[in-house]
Formats: sequence, C-alpha cells, structure tokens
Amino acid sequence: MKCAICHRKSHVGKYCRSHEKACENIFRSYEQWRKALEISWKEYLSQIANNPLTGEWTKEVVQHLLKNGEEANVKDH
Amino acid sequence: MDNYTLIIAEKPDAAEKIALALDNTEMPRKLSEKGVPYYVAKRHGKEIVVVPALGHMYTIAAERKGRNHYPVFSFKWVPRYITDRKATGIRSWLQTITTLAKKAETFVDACDFDVEGCVIGYCILKYACGAKEHESKRMKFSTLTRQELEKAYAEPLPQLDFGLTEAGLARHEIDWLYGINLSRALTIATRKRSKRYVTLSTGRVQGPTLRFLVAREEAIRSFVPIPYWKIRAQIETDGRVFEARYVKERFENKKEAETIANSCEDKRGEIEEIALREFKHPPPFPFDLGTLQSEAYNLFSFLPGRTLNLAQQLYLDALISYPRTDSQKLPSTIDYASILKNLGKAKEYYDLTSELLLKKTLKPNEGYKEDLAHPAIYPTGNLPGRTLESSKRKVWDLVVRRFLAVFGEPTTKQNMKVYVKINGLRFYVSGRRILTQGWMRYYEPYVKIDEVLLPPTRKGQIVNVKETHLEEVFKEPPSRYNPSSLLKDMEEVGIGTKATRASIIQTLYERRYIEGKKITVTNLGFEVFDVLEKHCPQVVSTALTRKLEEKMDRIRENKEKRQNALTDVIGMLQPSLAAFKEDEEAIGEQLNDALERSKLEERIIGTCPVCKIGKLVVNYSRKTGKRFVGCTSYFKGLCKTCFPLPQRGTVRSTGKNCHRCGWPTTKVYMKRHQWILCFNPECPSKTGNEKS
Repeated sequence: MKCAICHRKSHVGKYCRSHEKACENIFRSYEQWRKALEISWKEYLSQIANNPLTGEWTKEVVQHLLKNGEEANVKDH
Repeated sequence: MDNYTLIIAEKPDAAEKIALALDNTEMPRKLSEKGVPYYVAKRHGKEIVVVPALGHMYTIAAERKGRNHYPVFSFKWVPRYITDRKATGIRSWLQTITTLAKKAETFVDACDFDVEGCVIGYCILKYACGAKEHESKRMKFSTLTRQELEKAYAEPLPQLDFGLTEAGLARHEIDWLYGINLSRALTIATRKRSKRYVTLSTGRVQGPTLRFLVAREEAIRSFVPIPYWKIRAQIETDGRVFEARYVKERFENKKEAETIANSCEDKRGEIEEIALREFKHPPPFPFDLGTLQSEAYNLFSFLPGRTLNLAQQLYLDALISYPRTDSQKLPSTIDYASILKNLGKAKEYYDLTSELLLKKTLKPNEGYKEDLAHPAIYPTGNLPGRTLESSKRKVWDLVVRRFLAVFGEPTTKQNMKVYVKINGLRFYVSGRRILTQGWMRYYEPYVKIDEVLLPPTRKGQIVNVKETHLEEVFKEPPSRYNPSSLLKDMEEVGIGTKATRASIIQTLYERRYIEGKKITVTNLGFEVFDVLEKHCPQVVSTALTRKLEEKMDRIRENKEKRQNALTDVIGMLQPSLAAFKEDEEAIGEQLNDALERSKLEERIIGTCPVCKIGKLVVNYSRKTGKRFVGCTSYFKGLCKTCFPLPQRGTVRSTGKNCHRCGWPTTKVYMKRHQWILCFNPECPSKTGNEKS
C-alpha cells in the first residue's frame, strides 16, 4: 500500500510512517485546542494549516484531511 | 652523522619547534632528503635528529583486494600511499625516516600525547624504523614552548603508553570494520539496482549521530503548535512604562485569561512588595575542546572543525596548549603568574593581567571534566611574533580572555521583583543589575551584561495601569541542531571523540544526508537511516556505540584486550550483514528511489509563478543538450513557461523568492563568482522601473 500523500510505502494505515506520525499528532492535539478555544475540528485544521510553526508533514496531512472531508477522518480515528 | 637520538614529531611545524628548543644554540641545521625536511640539533655535545611525520602515515587495508564484496573481516596495517592514491608523497617520506632510523642509537616518540598521536608514533616506530616500538622513549608535553619541551626531553617516559596506543589501534580497527562493511553494503545494494556508482556510507558514530538528527527532524516536521496565553499590564511610574507579568505564567484557556485581563482594565495598581535577591555568578571553567568549539560557534559562527583547525595552528605556533583535550582543569604545575606576566606585555591585556597579579593567590575555577593526557586549553604566554590572521586572532583572544576570567572573582548580581496589585490580582515587574563585575570584566567582549534597571519604588506607591492585554503564544517545535549543538549532544551522550566528532558531522554533509547551518535531514538521510534501522538496528544504536567507547576506555586502562573487542564487533556485524545481503534488492530499490527523489528535489527551483500549479525544474534539451528552466505542467499540456539558464557553472535553488517581484530565484556558482538570478524578465531590478 502507498501513502496517500507522498506515495511512499505505507506499512500501517493509509499514510507512510512520517505522515502517520503527523496525523497522530494532529488528532492528539485537537483536544488541547478544543479546550483552549472551543473550536470545531474544521476550524482547528485551518488554524494549524496557517500557523508558521506547524511542521511540514503536519501541513501536508491537514491539506489532505481538509480535501477529503474532515468528518470521515474524525470517524476513522 | 651516526649514533644520534631520533625524535619522531607528528607534524613539520612541531618538529621545527622541538629542534629549536633542544638545540643549545637555538639554531638547528635544517636538512632534507627526497624533499623531506628534518632537523639536526646539538645538545650537550650529543646529536639529535628530529624528523616529522605527516599525521597518519599508516592505515588499515583489507587483506583481500577488490571493492565489490562484503563482509570483510581480515585486514592489515599498510603505508597510506597504498590505499590513498593522492598520498604519493608518503612513500619518500617513509623511506627517509627508514634511512634516518638505520643510524640512530636511541628513539624518542614526540607525537601529540593522545590516542591519534600514539598510533602515529607507534606505527612509524614499528613499521618504518624496524620494530623499535618497545625501545623508544616517550616525550609528553602540552605546549610547544621551549621550557616544556626541554623538560619533556630531559624527563621522558621510559616507554610508549601502550594502553593508549592499543585503545587507538582498536578504535581505528573497529571503525574500519564498521565503515568498510556497512558502506560497501549500502553502495553495492544501490549499484546492483541502478548500475551506477554512488558512494553511500555509514559508520560506528555516523549512524547514531544520524539517529539524533532524524529524531529531531521528525519532531519538527510533525509538530502541531498548541496555543496558550499570557497576561501583561503596562505600568507607568515616573514617566516610564514597564511591562508587568501576571503571576500565573500561562493560561491554557483563552476565556479564563480574558476574564482576568478585562477585570484589570482602567484600574490603578499599588506596589505590594519589593523582593530583592542577591546572588553570585561564578567564573566560567577553562576551555576544553567542546566548550571552545561551542563558544566560537556562538560568538563568531565558526564551525567546530574550523575552530579545531585554528586551535591546532595556534598550538603549533606555541601560542596555546594542546587543544584536543577533554579537561576543564588547570593543574598548579602551570606557572599561572608567569603566563599572566607575559600576556601583560600586550597592551590590551596589561590592565587586566596587572589586576590579577595583585591577588594574593591565583586559583582557577576548574570544572569537573578531566583528561589524563592534557590540561584544559590555556595560553602559553607567548605573544604572536607577527600579526595573526583575523580568525586565528579571534580564537587566541578568546582563549586568553577565558584564561583571565577563570581567575576572576564571582560576579555579584541583584534580581529585583516589584509586585503590583491590580484589582486584587498580583502582577510583577522584573529587573536585574550587576553589583560587582568580577570575572565578567576579563571576559567582557564575550559576555553579555544585560541589565534591566527599575526606577526607585516604595511599598504602597500607587501606579498607573495604562493597559492590560493578552498575549497569544504557541508552544514552539524543538529547535534545529546546528553543528555546535550537535557536537555538544554527541559529547554528552558519549559517542565519538573530541578529535573525530567535527569530521563525522562534516561527512554527513558530504554524503548529503544533512544540509544547512540549521541542520535539516534530507530525504536521502531519512532513507539511509530507515534502511539501517530496519536491517542493522545495532549500527544506529547509541547504547552500543557508547558501550564500545567504554570498552576502548578499558583497553586504555589495560583491563581489556584489543582482540576481544574486535571479536565482539565481528560477532555483531556478521549476522547484520548476512541479513542485509538477503534483502539487498529491496534495500537497493529503497535507496535508489531516495537518490532519484533527492536528485529531482535538487533540480526544483520553486513553484511556477505563471500557472501556480507546476514546479519550475532545471531541464536539459534533448536536441541541443542545453539546460533551461521549465514548468512540470508542460507535460500535462497546462503551462509552457520556460526560461534560459547560464550554460556553465552550478545552478541551485535559493529556496527564497525575489524580494522585488516574488518570483523564485536561483543561485549560480561559477568558479569563484556567484550571483542570484531572478527569472522574471519584467522584474523591476532588470527593467529599471523600480522606484528608488
């Protein structure tokens, strides 16, 4: 199976190891953002997408999540 | 010329210094044979011949010839010209040493007293001088000053330090076994797949170092910033405005922070408490190599390897002591007062040294790190005979001022916290000042004195609160390594040696596993690490490398045999290499893909400014062979953007856009010239339309 973002080999799930790690971080950090700002998942994604401190892989996963509809992804995880 | 004492020095400069110091007239004869210089000195009627080496003149080579096979576990020590085609001069150099050794009566090894120096001297005595390694005496010195060299010659060690030598030989042999086998495995796997030769390498220390970098890069690239808030109040007193902080440093909920900040709006504050704290800041420790490299990087942006080279030159000029040291101690046998007196002859140090010489006792503030072979780095007291080249001067001045600073008194500082109550809530303003300068005076250009002075205040005083506001802050990703911080971490974890760490970082750059001063791991670096972690996890394990370092320390203390350490390493490498061979095809594919990707990445200049979808890439015309920049969307029939490029020199993306028109730019390197090229033909910088 290939990573949905960079097309490298993925061993678990739809992402490669690097993007999988970024994806885990995105889901883990949402709880902290929600407590801090009471924002929706979509708002959260666009906030981190535009933040200059966000990592490169994280931004790529965010773009992918936004493109593919965040609802489905929330359920996946 | 017969029956003389033959002294082996590590380098030509050191040989000259030794000959000058030992000759009674200070005028040794300089002779040469086959272009190899050597010196003849007369001391108390006896003849001494000092011949230099050129660093390592012997190296390890595989018993079996050819580069296309692994594993390789049998090896021998050979003259360097056999393995290194460029080292042709070594042959005549060794012949001269052999000729001089034939008529020598006694032998003295005067190479640097460290692991590498011991190996250099041992190999020359064993192979070039005809097995004289057990007859030779050993000179031990830390500076190339006349006094110390005379003493080292008069009171030599009765024999070589065989513990140190064995540890050095073991280090070379173990590193060779790692390097040759794993690098060949990587290179052969890649070549089998692509039929092209690409050098990929790893090593005993290189692997774990790459692990540090990969871990940091992963943390940065997969980072998600988390917001938090700080409350600040602008407080006005005596016509000056100060920023006060709320006592709770961070709020993880915006609403909670807003409620507190809003409740302080349009209120007045009252000074509730003034807390003063005095403390002493002790002088710094003397420099060991790592701290010198780190300080030179922070102050002058010198890469660690450059600092080591400069320090080595200063040592050979007899201006500083031996720089490859781990010690932060300055033993009392060093005549501090006479060094200070000599340094005081330079007018820039006169006042400072005079002050220190007035002290009843001179006691340096020493660190905890020790090195059995050498003390910390210190100036010899000699002043440069001629004007030093600027970067050398900087390092020398740094070493001198650090040496002065370690004898200074502690600096006394005062921290002041003024607590202000606003609407029942506690804020504080911080200030700090220096009460007595102490050692900072001696180290002044290199230490920042950052004082924040607060106006006189008293308890109960009412102050104006100009405004309160929320500051939104994000938790930041870990900072990128730079060569200096990486070196520091390698030192802390205990991998590599003071002499090799800088060159290992350099190799990672040369192999294109990393790039930039703020180090970024390339795709190739990630893939090589991935392959190694998957197939030979021990090779990238910090624990194993540290264990081997400990083993080498035990060899040095004669508590472990070199052969045992080698057997352990071979036992570890054998199954890893066998597993590697089995998966050679898959590994080759993975590495080739990475190489292809990194090649493509190098060709990418930036996003196409016309279609804004494709990427501008350096291409070569099939018809003419000329290079140009074109958009990748051309192949989809979406964009025909292309620009000509200079046909000579190297073209690399700057990663930045033109600050005038915003188009991507490249840097062109042609011999010694380099310039930034913007592709936009309409760029104001080219058309002259730019408003001045």
